[in-house]
Amino acid sequence: MKQISLYADRNSFVHDLDPISKLYYILFSILVPVILPSISVTLICSFLSIILLLLAKVFKKALPVFLLVFIVLITVVIIQGLFRPGNETIFLKIGPAVFYKEGLLYALKVTLRVTDIVGAFLILVLTTKPSDLVESLVRRGLSPRIGYVVISVFQIIPEMTSTMSTIMDAQRARGLETEGNLITRIKAFIPLLGPVVLGSLVNTKERAMALEVRGFNAQGNKTFLNEEKTSVLSKPIQLGLLLIVVMAFVWRLLT
Amino acid sequence: MTKIIADNLKYKYPLSDKLALDNISFKVEKGEFIGIIGANKAGKSTLCQALTGLVPHFYKGAYGGKVFVDGLEVKEHSIAEISLKAGIVFQNPFTQMTGSKMTVYEEIAFGLENLGIAREEMQKQIDHAMELMDIASLKERNPFDLSGGQMQRLAIASIIAMNPEIIVLDEPTSQLDPEGSEEVFLAVQLLSRQGVTVIMAEHKMEKVAKYCDRILLLYNGEIIDFDTPGKIFSRDDLKQYGVVPPIFTSVCRELGVKKSGTDEYPVTLEEARAALGRKVK
Amino acid sequence: MIRVENLTFSYPDGPEVLSDINLDFDMRSTAIIGQNGAGKTTFAKLLKGLLKPFIGDIYIGDTNVRDTSAAMLAGKIGLVFQNPNDQIFKSRVLDEVMFGPLNIKLDKQTARKKAIEALKITGLADKLEVNPHDLSLSEKKLLCMASVLAMDTDIFILDEPTIAQDHTGKETIRKIIQSLKERNKLVMTIIHDMDFAAENFERIIVFNGGKAILDGDASFVFGQKDILQQARVEAPAAARLAEELGLAGTFLTEEELIKDLRQCGERAQL
Ligand SMILES: Nc1ncnc2c1ncn2[C@@H]1O[C@H](COP(=O)(O)OP(=O)(O)OP(=O)(O)O)[C@@H](O)[C@H]1O
Ligand SMILES: Nc1ncnc2c1ncn2[C@@H]1O[C@H](COP(=O)(O)OP(=O)(O)OP(=O)(O)O)[C@@H](O)[C@H]1O
Ligand SMILES: [Mg+2]
Ligand SMILES: [Mg+2]
Repeated sequence: MKQISLYADRNSFVHDLDPISKLYYILFSILVPVILPSISVTLICSFLSIILLLLAKVFKKALPVFLLVFIVLITVVIIQGLFRPGNETIFLKIGPAVFYKEGLLYALKVTLRVTDIVGAFLILVLTTKPSDLVESLVRRGLSPRIGYVVISVFQIIPEMTSTMSTIMDAQRARGLETEGNLITRIKAFIPLLGPVVLGSLVNTKERAMALEVRGFNAQGNKTFLNEEKTSVLSKPIQLGLLLIVVMAFVWRLLT
Repeated sequence: MTKIIADNLKYKYPLSDKLALDNISFKVEKGEFIGIIGANKAGKSTLCQALTGLVPHFYKGAYGGKVFVDGLEVKEHSIAEISLKAGIVFQNPFTQMTGSKMTVYEEIAFGLENLGIAREEMQKQIDHAMELMDIASLKERNPFDLSGGQMQRLAIASIIAMNPEIIVLDEPTSQLDPEGSEEVFLAVQLLSRQGVTVIMAEHKMEKVAKYCDRILLLYNGEIIDFDTPGKIFSRDDLKQYGVVPPIFTSVCRELGVKKSGTDEYPVTLEEARAALGRKVK
Repeated sequence: MIRVENLTFSYPDGPEVLSDINLDFDMRSTAIIGQNGAGKTTFAKLLKGLLKPFIGDIYIGDTNVRDTSAAMLAGKIGLVFQNPNDQIFKSRVLDEVMFGPLNIKLDKQTARKKAIEALKITGLADKLEVNPHDLSLSEKKLLCMASVLAMDTDIFILDEPTIAQDHTGKETIRKIIQSLKERNKLVMTIIHDMDFAAENFERIIVFNGGKAILDGDASFVFGQKDILQQARVEAPAAARLAEELGLAGTFLTEEELIKDLRQCGERAQL
């Protein structure tokens, strides 16, 4: 049973960074462009995210996500470019459609912000094992129960797959054809559904027992097998990011 | 020091119309190794669960009487609290896996993390448990890709690693190779010599006879007898309770050979050799 | 009935589990023994077509397992899984047992009849409407047995059928195996209970290190002390007691031993 996640195992300083610093970075990428809403600031932030993705050697894995996001954003560009209230300066005419500069600039800003935030999230997701992230949070006071649920969510798909293949083995062992062409496989899929649900319910009950007798709900402080990932950079990075946010805020108030 | 007290315990599963445990009373002293034997459905697993709080906290139903585990009344304390004192190894090892750990090593660590054991100590305890169960070479393997017997070893290791004062094992050797079962009994015996109180349900009479200090014979949810292996397996009416003694005992009984100076039949290989040896020569 | 040629197998990214196994199975009932992780279950799954050989071939009758699907083999070869949780998937005992017969194209009436018959043999006839997940482990194991019996295949493979069984349960299984033998079925069993193996099987094969290192009848196999020790299995209790007593020959059952000891006793009296 593997965890389903986008995590890409690479060697980079981003990977070595602790998950909490990456959470700080997400906060930073959301807040700074909101506090200082100029296009140039947003541009710098998005560049930073992209550069970090490149340094983490995971840019290729990030591309499909960006592509998906851009497809959605195209509608923003079109709608804002055409219809944004306050549109005055004509920028471009394509047949009957007139694009205005104000709307397009706004759309650009939205696009950059989204790039920035999506990039920041991808840095976390692509370079951090879900279990490491959850463990970091549990260390900081997240309830282990919630932690377990989060981990389970990451495991739903692989767990379903493994339950399914177990049941399929049981079925073909007793004569149900599950191999072969697409139609056979689709036919084999239907009698799988009931048992998979039933199996998961039974599993859940047995799991709960397994956890209980291993002291899962015991009072007192938990410890962790794995040492927490911390690099010497963690604290400076977290402080630096906070400082920039605060400075941006002060700057905003002063000007 | 008395570690376990059951006082007139009665229990009925929900939706069931018959008592699974009835009028169960017994005491176990610190460091004893107790075997629970009896036919299928005699109530062995239910009793194991009652000693670790799964009955009545996880399995509801009608509950009467009292069970004390190391001074805690089971009914009044949560499974989590009891799990600090008494560990249980389930009958089917497959159901013992937490499903949230990727390797054998981490699976064993799970319980220790919850107990708040410091890392170095944790690693020591894990290594020790893996060695006892002979699974050190499987350390990095995924728990769900193990063979049946390997998984059973892992289930036992993950409870032993938690160092409970009381260990309850429900047929822990059912899927082990002969040498493996012997090792488990030896390991558990060693623990009991070190002061751990052990309760083990088993169908392998030869091993129970050899290793257990006392045997609890269950039938239909009731205690028929609670005595030494020699006494239990010398009973004339064992068959009636669905239990067959070790071959060593039946051979000697058939030939009318008793342990010298006692009224009991031999129950182990060594005893049988000593008793029969006189006869053969 | 079954021919295994140069069979080699490993799980993805794993070490070799079986290496270059050559075995022929005739009608002799066969027990496969060997230490945990020796590859016994893997071997059974390969015969059944649930896993595909890495190298080598398996023939069930004239059919090469490579050229067919597990489903197509299901009418010929039945497997009782080691872990019942892996085998059971229906929510009613009767449906669980009828699943196989229905798939090998029996009509509903016949399938039902076969299922009920199999449940009677295994002692579960009063549990038709029960949810299998509410059964105890020993009952689940018997249910798995019933599901396979109902298909009435020519070959039966039982992966550790005696797990969790008490004396009565073992007797039930012993009787089932006897009656299958009488009906000319090939019965193969993977088992850790040496007394049961010695008493009920004509041929014993010992697996170790990915190979079949011993193969023969029970008195031959259980006479090979050194090899047994290497494979981490032991001789039946009767044989061990006989050895301790310094009796000549290999004793497999309680009865044989008692008979011999009686004679010893009589001789001593004379
Ligand atoms: N979850 C359950 N719900 C209802 N009844 C149950 C449940 N589990 C067990 N029982 C019933 O309680 C009684 C005792 O069962 P238990 O499993 O304790 O026996 P056992 O001695 O462990 O048997 P085995 O040797 O088969 O493991 C049986 O009559 C059984 O049918
Ligand atoms: N799905 C799997 N993926 C990877 N390795 C596996 C898988 N299943 C089994 N193995 C490994 O293959 C080897 C043989 O396993 P197998 O289940 O065939 O053993 P076995 O002889 O049946 O043992 P047991 O007596 O414990 O049931 C073991 O080392 C096991 O860990
Ligand atoms: Mg039980
Ligand atoms: Mg196996």
